[in-house]
Order: sequence, then structure tokens, then C-alpha cells
Amino acid sequence: MLPDFAYTRPTSIKEAVKALSAANARVHAGGTDLLGCLRDEIFSVDILVSLGRLDSLRGIRQTADGGLRIGALTTIADVAENLLIQKHYTALAQAAGEVASPQLRNQGTIGGNLCQKPRCWYYRGEFHCLRKGGDMCYAADGQSQFHCLFGSGDICYIVHPSDTAPALIALGAKVRIAGKRRQKTVPVEKFFVLPEDDVQTETILAAEEIVTEIILPPPPANLKSRYRKVRARRSWDFALSGAALALQFDDSDVVRRARVVLSGVAPIPWRAPAVETVLTGQALTPAVIARAANAAVENAEPLAQNEYKVPLLRGMLKEELGAFG
Amino acid sequence: MKPPRENIYFVDGLPVPETPQPGEKPAPWRQTRVIGKARPRVDAYERVSGTAVYPSDVILPKMLYGAILRCPHPHAKVRRVDLTAATRLPGVHAAISGDSLKVNPEWEYRTFGGPTVKSLLFDPHCRHEGEVVAAVAAETPYLARDALAGIQVDYDVLPFVTDEQQALAPDAPVIHGDSNRVGPPQVYQRGDVAKGFGEADVVLTETYHTACELHTPMELHGCVAEWDGDRLTIWESTQGVFAVQSGVAKALGLPLSKVRIIGRYMGGGFGSKLVAGKYTVIAAILARQIGRPVKLVLSREETYLAVGNRPPNHMALKAGVKKDGRLTALDFTGTGSGGAYPAGGTSLLDWQVRDLYTCPNVRCETTDVYIHAGPARPFRAPGHPQGSWALEQMMDALAHAIKMDPVQLRLKNIPAFSQARDGQPPYTTTGFAACLQEGAKAFDWQQARLKPARGKADEVWLRGVGMAGASWFLGAGFGPATVVLRVFADGSVNLNMGAADIGTGTKTVMAMVVAEELGIKSDMIQIEHADTGSTQFSGPSGGSKTVPTDAPAARAAAVAVKRQLLAMAAVQLEEKAKRLTIRDGRIHSTGASDKAVGIAELKELKRQGVIVGVGQKGPRPEGKVVVPFAAQFCEVAVNRHTGELKIVRFLGANDSGRVMSRLTYDNQVYGGITMGIGFGTTEKRYLDHGQTGKLVNRNWHDYKLPTALDVPVDMTSLPIEMPDDQANIVGAKGLGEPVTIPTAAAIANAVFHATGIRVTTTPINPVQLSRLLAQHRKKE
Repeated sequence: MLPDFAYTRPTSIKEAVKALSAANARVHAGGTDLLGCLRDEIFSVDILVSLGRLDSLRGIRQTADGGLRIGALTTIADVAENLLIQKHYTALAQAAGEVASPQLRNQGTIGGNLCQKPRCWYYRGEFHCLRKGGDMCYAADGQSQFHCLFGSGDICYIVHPSDTAPALIALGAKVRIAGKRRQKTVPVEKFFVLPEDDVQTETILAAEEIVTEIILPPPPANLKSRYRKVRARRSWDFALSGAALALQFDDSDVVRRARVVLSGVAPIPWRAPAVETVLTGQALTPAVIARAANAAVENAEPLAQNEYKVPLLRGMLKEELGAFG
Repeated sequence: MKPPRENIYFVDGLPVPETPQPGEKPAPWRQTRVIGKARPRVDAYERVSGTAVYPSDVILPKMLYGAILRCPHPHAKVRRVDLTAATRLPGVHAAISGDSLKVNPEWEYRTFGGPTVKSLLFDPHCRHEGEVVAAVAAETPYLARDALAGIQVDYDVLPFVTDEQQALAPDAPVIHGDSNRVGPPQVYQRGDVAKGFGEADVVLTETYHTACELHTPMELHGCVAEWDGDRLTIWESTQGVFAVQSGVAKALGLPLSKVRIIGRYMGGGFGSKLVAGKYTVIAAILARQIGRPVKLVLSREETYLAVGNRPPNHMALKAGVKKDGRLTALDFTGTGSGGAYPAGGTSLLDWQVRDLYTCPNVRCETTDVYIHAGPARPFRAPGHPQGSWALEQMMDALAHAIKMDPVQLRLKNIPAFSQARDGQPPYTTTGFAACLQEGAKAFDWQQARLKPARGKADEVWLRGVGMAGASWFLGAGFGPATVVLRVFADGSVNLNMGAADIGTGTKTVMAMVVAEELGIKSDMIQIEHADTGSTQFSGPSGGSKTVPTDAPAARAAAVAVKRQLLAMAAVQLEEKAKRLTIRDGRIHSTGASDKAVGIAELKELKRQGVIVGVGQKGPRPEGKVVVPFAAQFCEVAVNRHTGELKIVRFLGANDSGRVMSRLTYDNQVYGGITMGIGFGTTEKRYLDHGQTGKLVNRNWHDYKLPTALDVPVDMTSLPIEMPDDQANIVGAKGLGEPVTIPTAAAIANAVFHATGIRVTTTPINPVQLSRLLAQHRKKE
């Protein structure tokens, strides 16, 4: 059951930002996460600001330099099915295709996918945890099977739920944000917030700010990218662990540049520079792949019940790197 | 050794009315025209189009909405409930608690063969999270929730134990009395296990764990209650309207005749809707207090806390086998918890070990413990899938150890009689060997088994096949059950029965029985059912009882009607009744003459306006036992890097006697396998042991039901059709439960075949397999 709230449907981004400047206002885009949060009383809201009339935020367009702009209200299904994305930004199309279920992909938006709230069952349940302003993290000594290996700062052990965000970071995407002043553009990698910086928020967005679009750079030559997700059941589930890999090869199949971003293992999409270092300048031989997979879990700090994520992550990377060809 | 008396669905020893049989017992059907055929459900259109009205859909004039305030702690005492603010809210018509009621009705929990524990509808001593504390009724569901938020409760929060393995620790908080044991350990013994192990060539020991599974019927638990003077009518989503009637009547001190329960359409029940809920009685109390109908439907979270589960179990099994495959001894210990009240934490847990295979020396000991968690309820084949998880994996390990095919090993140990029942009665029929042999053949088991067990080194997906066998404790159904048939002057028929159709196709099967027996088209049959005010008594639809119980009653009623129709026709046609037969709605002479009359042309029927036939469930066969058998085969693929599991195909072979309705039969098989896949690979209750004791996975993301992608497209139902003429007058045995018993063990055995890893804990998922595969690689 939802709380009582006012609802407004602005027709311009400026109006939307203004509406969001009111006390305790929140954005309603696809609503697939928002409605669940409201129903479960994760947060309250006084006014919901629908983006439904902002048609300029929909659609996928090529940019002048050969990159791509994806409006924030573009559905996950549209991202997954877009031929340009499938061809040039394969990891993103694959990640979008792995999100939730067909029904949710048809409703959920790419902007919303970046702004999701975590799925930690303590955060989503009747537990007054740190992230909700309480004074303890229940996962630290509790049921931690689905919690993080990296980046907790020993503060909060959520995992970031997005599949598309790791792919966007691997592909060097930027996110465009509208706010009180003029629009700003930030690399997706800089969009997320670690518990040690602020345990009560997941993104850098201010209350009145809106993600308006995602900008993908022109695909470099010989870029190959993939997204892989392992989950506890085969549909409608978040990642136990996942990885977005974007590798640029030279003509002799040596990796020139590598970007590796993990999902399901940290409070933010987790860049794995150690893996990138191992891969850069190397051909993907079994030995290199094994070293890279090991590098991914080097600094892992498992809790009592999520140790399995270490071999899982290693095995998944081994399989995924082996599949480049 | 006495047989277990812990029957979950009925009370043994109640006198059962016999089928009135003025003539001889109806002969078994030989050639059938309708029975066994693939006919669409009689209510398929209504269900698919959405016109069927389920209890959740019922809206009555002036109806209010009820809601329940539940204890947020696993263990607490309610010191004070302040309803003042809630009652002051405009639109809120009542707020009640234990103290505000003149009578706080008694609420009883018991297991069969175990203790009875008396509690209260609003028990101030809350022994599990989700226990009811107060309730309200308001103009809208939203107002009702607001009212709940306005209720002030002071709790004394008390120490708790939610882990069944810690419940017997000396310092564990006690739930009832002075120990967390529900009763003394249940011990079963035949032969001498020590001697048996001495005779064995191979002895293996293993421990097994099965996670607690939460009941998730599609339709939530709930009801609408309405009073008309002192007569109460409740629309309830239930498996048994008469069971709800007696529960409500007892709680409210009403005669049964004043309580009408209607449960015609209902959206699924797997044992958690066999009785009245606290919510049912609360809705009735609220409705009476206010004088308006009250609808009270629980949320999914509430059902996960309060309306039942399959208990978590821990088992150890030691087994001995000779090289030739004969079992010599089985020694089983099992513990489990049905939660905070006696609820069958180990009910029938050891039954497969006791009775499925021939074994002269068997010892079983089970210990049921209390924990501070929601009480269990029967869950499709109580105890069986858990016991099967242990026994059938052990059989697979034994076969591996003596280098024998797992199917062959089982075939070496097929019993002709029930070893664990009093007097060791023979089975009326056993198709167990046929299930194994025919199933293996249809699955192409031999070939599938030969494939390189671990695959090539560079293959990502490791393939394997596995199988498991099963029997189900209750195959005969159980009475009493009465069915009334009325034939109207135009020859159309009204079939009146108390049984609920819980989605299994009960109505369809019963219409087919009557169509078969009366030689009329099934669209001439109208069904009235599951209504204590207007239909006849039948027990709840559970224990795979409905077909073997209510179908014989329906046939008996049809025979009773037929006798009268033929007598009327005999007079009218001047022909002997025994020479007459009914076909396509007409009564024909089977003799030389071509005399015939349509049912609608019978003068005596027109004069009377109606013919009534009454049928009852006959007695179970004496000195024999009716048991359904099953074998399942599956192929899986395991990702060697990640531990992801794909179930590639499944085959279920079942001996449940006669196939009554092919489509609903197959649906049971597919549904049972699907549910078994959930039990084996996705579902698990997580409690916040040691911190808050609360249930942490209470939504459909965190409590993982199998999705369409977790279930193979390639599923085969293979009926081993052996009409069981001794079981009852339709020849069918129960089917709904055997179909889900061996599934999880078959998957585990296939995973072993694929990986060499024995997964002894449910669910088998990447969480477990990624870790086990890594350990396995280290060992190699």
C-alpha cells in the first residue's frame, strides 16, 4: 500500500527541476523501483514529479561525432533491442537484456536503472539500518549471502543493483544531469557514491536534479565488449556477481586498452584496475586469463556468508575472458 | 510396530458412511468414452477470461476492509494495546484486541500423534513474528492500514531462538513448557540395523539439510465475512469449506448450520489452506461487531510470516548394501522444526526410508523442536521431499559405490507389501518397477547415462542425468464424502459436491465421471461445489485425496441415478431394466429390439420433475494398502566456472492407477516437477538468526520462486496406467503429491553425475555450486 502523496506532471525539464525543489519530492520515471520503495516504506514522499510528459528524454540518437545519446526515459527493453547498441556497445545491450524480466524491462528506464535503490534485504525490510538513518548495519553480522566483497568501508555492505551501469562505465559513458543551474555532464563512473562518502545516498544527484541522458563516446576501432551476469535463478533476479568487459585489441589480438567493471560485488559498480593492468598489452592466453581472474578477487573482503562470490567471480571472469575471440 | 498415526489431513478411525449398494458393486470401467481422455476443463473459459469470481474478487454492498496488526518480534509479551487513536480515525469502524473482546477465542495447535497446545486468537504471548496483536476494519484498505499505524502496543521483548539446530542447546530460550522438544523422539525400528550393517558389502553415511520453504499459493489467504442476523457467511480461499466451517463454528461457539463457507473458485492451496485462519475468525468478529461485511485479505508478507511453511530438516542416513544391490540396513535420524507450535516439523520425514524399498533392518528416529518462527503447515507431500532428498541421494551414492546403475539398484529392492505399516499389508497394485523401467526407457536413460560424465576439459557446461523414485503415504483418499446428483426433466444433471477444486481440475474430473457413467455429454452437467450451505460434506482437498475420494462418490451417485432412470425406462419401454443402457442421452435396449427413449422423454421423470441420487465414498480395501508410486528422470547442465545450473529436461512416470483426465493429470506432473525444482534449486527462508530473529526474505525478489526460465520446456508426463480396481470404484489413486516428491533428489543426482559433487543441502544454486566446484578443483 502506498503512502499519501501529491503528483505533478511537468512539461519541461525546468518545471520538473522546480517541482523537485519542493520538500521531500521524488522523481517518477518508470516507477518499477519507486513504487516498491514506497510500498515497503523505505522512504516517504510528499510530492511525486512525473517525467512522463518530457518526451525529449526518450529515444536513442547518434551524435555528430559518431557516439550515441540515450534519453533517460528510454526503456531498458529499447536499449536491449537497439541495433546500434547491439553492434557497437554490445556490453550495454547484453546488460540491458539481463535486467529483471521482460515486463520490467518494458517499463523500467535507463535513467532509473542508474538511480536504483539497493536491494539489501535489511534496507528493504523493517530494519532501521545505517542507510535509512539508523545506527547499525545488520548485514555485517547477519544474513550476508547477497552482500558485497569490495568497497564497504566496513560501513554498509550493499551491492549496487544495476546491470547497465557497469556496462556504461566500461564503455566510457557520461551522464547528463539537469539541475538548478545549467546542465552538467559527469562520467558515469563518477556518478555513484561509496558508503564512506555518504552512507545514505547512492548517487551524486541533488534532490532537485534529474538524469536527462546518457552519452556514449564513438566506439573505438577493434572494441569488443561483453556483459555477463550470474544470478540465483535464471530470470527476474539481481546479480550475484557480474562483469562488464570492454577490450580494445590491436591487429595481433593484443589487448591495447581494457576496462573491467564488476556488478553485484560492491556498493557501486566496481572498476577492477588490477584486472585491467594484467590484461593490457597481453594476448588473452589461458595464463593471462587466469592471472586476470585472480587479480579480480585479490582484495576481496568476504563476510561470513558470501565467500562463494570469490570463486564465482574468478570463474565467471575466466569464462568471459575465454569467450572473447 | 504401529503405523504412524500422524495423518495430517484427516482423523483416522472416524466412522465413514458406506456407499449404499442395493445391487452389486459397480463393475470397473473397461472401455471408457470420456474417462482418461484429454478434455478441456469445464471452467477453463471462466478462469482464463477472468470472469471467475475468486474470494479475493468478492465485493459486497457496504463492505469494509479489515487489517491485522502483527507482532514485529519473534518473541514478546504484549503488555498493553491502546486502540484509542485508531478508533478515532474517521472511516475506521472497529479496532479490536484480545482485551477489547468479551471473548478472546481459544486457538489450538496440534500434530497428529503429538501434543495439543492451546493458545488464544489474540495471544498476548507472541511466540513468532507475525502473531496477531490487534485488528481493524475501515472504509478502505488504506484507512485500515492507517488505523493499524495508530495502534500503540507496549511489548516486553524477550529472548528468542530461531535456529532449529540451536533450539535444544541448554541455554536456548524455551518456547513452551520446559524443553523445546515437541515430544519425545519418534522411534521406528524393524529388524536389527547393527546386524544389517554387518552383512553389508558397502556402508555409507551422509548428512543432508533441506531449507524451509514458504507457502506461496497465487491467491493470497483471505476471506469476506457477512452476517445475516445470526447466520454467518464467509467467502474463503480454501481447500476445504467444511474444515473452515468447523473451525469458525468452534471459535465463535456457533452451530455448524449457522456458518456457511463458500469457496468455489480459489487460487491455489498446497496444504496451507486446509483450515480456518485466524484472519477468518477476526473478519467474522469485526463484521458482527460493526454489522457490515468485512473483507480481510492478507498481504504476501503476512502470509510468509503466518500461514505456514515446509519445515527445515536436518537428516543423517547410514545405509548398507550388498554387492548384488540388496539393501541390508538403513539407519536414519532427522530433526526439524514446525515453528512455535506443534505443526509437524518431522511429520512423515522418515516415511520414504521406512517403506519405499525392501530392507529388513531399518531404524528411524525423528525429533521435532520448537523455534520462535511461524508455524508450519502441511506442504504438498509433508515430509516426503525432504526424506527423499536424503534417501534417493543415498541410493544414488550406493549405486555409484557398488558400480551398479541407479535404476537397477532400485529395481533390486522393490517391495510387494508395505513393510512399515501394521501387519505389513500388500499393496493393492504397485507400478513402482514399471515407473522405473518404462521411465528409463522413455528417457533413454541408458544412452544418456553413457555420455562422458564430466564432459571435455574445455566444455563450459557439464552435463549429467539423474533419477529418483518415490511413493506417497496416502493413495486411497479418505472419507467421508457425499455427492448428490439431480437429473432434471430435460435430462440435464446437477452435480453437487462439497469438495474444493484447488486448481487441480476436480470439477472437470467429476463431470467426466458422471458423463461416463450416465452416457451424457459433460456440457449437460452443472456443478455446485464447495459451499457448506448447499453442498454435501467432503474433507479438504489435501493428501491427494480428492480424485480417489470424491470420484467414487460421484460414480456411486451416478449409478444410483442410473438405476432409477433405467427403472423408469423399463416401464415405459416394456423392457427389462438390465437390458437397457444409456448412450448420448438416450436409453436403448441392448436386446434384439430397437426400443429406445430419450432421458427427457421419460414420463415418470417429467411427473417427478427430478431424480436424486446419493453416492458416498466406500471403505478402503481391507488388509491391503493403496499407494501411488513415481519415478523421475532429469538432465542438467552445470557451468563449471560459475556453478550455474540449467535443468535441461525432465520426465515424470507415475503409477496413480487409472488416468481420469489426461490433461489435468499431465498438469499435476508438470506442476509437481516445477514445485520440486523450486524446493531443490531456488527456495529458502532466511531468518535473521542471532540479531533480530525476523524473516529477511519476504518478497518475491528475495524469496525466490522458480521462474519460467528455471523450468525446462522439455517436460514429459508418462502415466503408468494400472487401474486399481481394489482401491475404489473408479480405479484411481492419488496423484497430486507423488509428482513433487522425487524431483529435488533427481536433480541432485544429476548434478553429481555432471560434476562428481554431492550437494546435500538445498537449494542447489550458484551460491553453493561455485564454492563446491572450487573446492572440488583444489582436491583434483
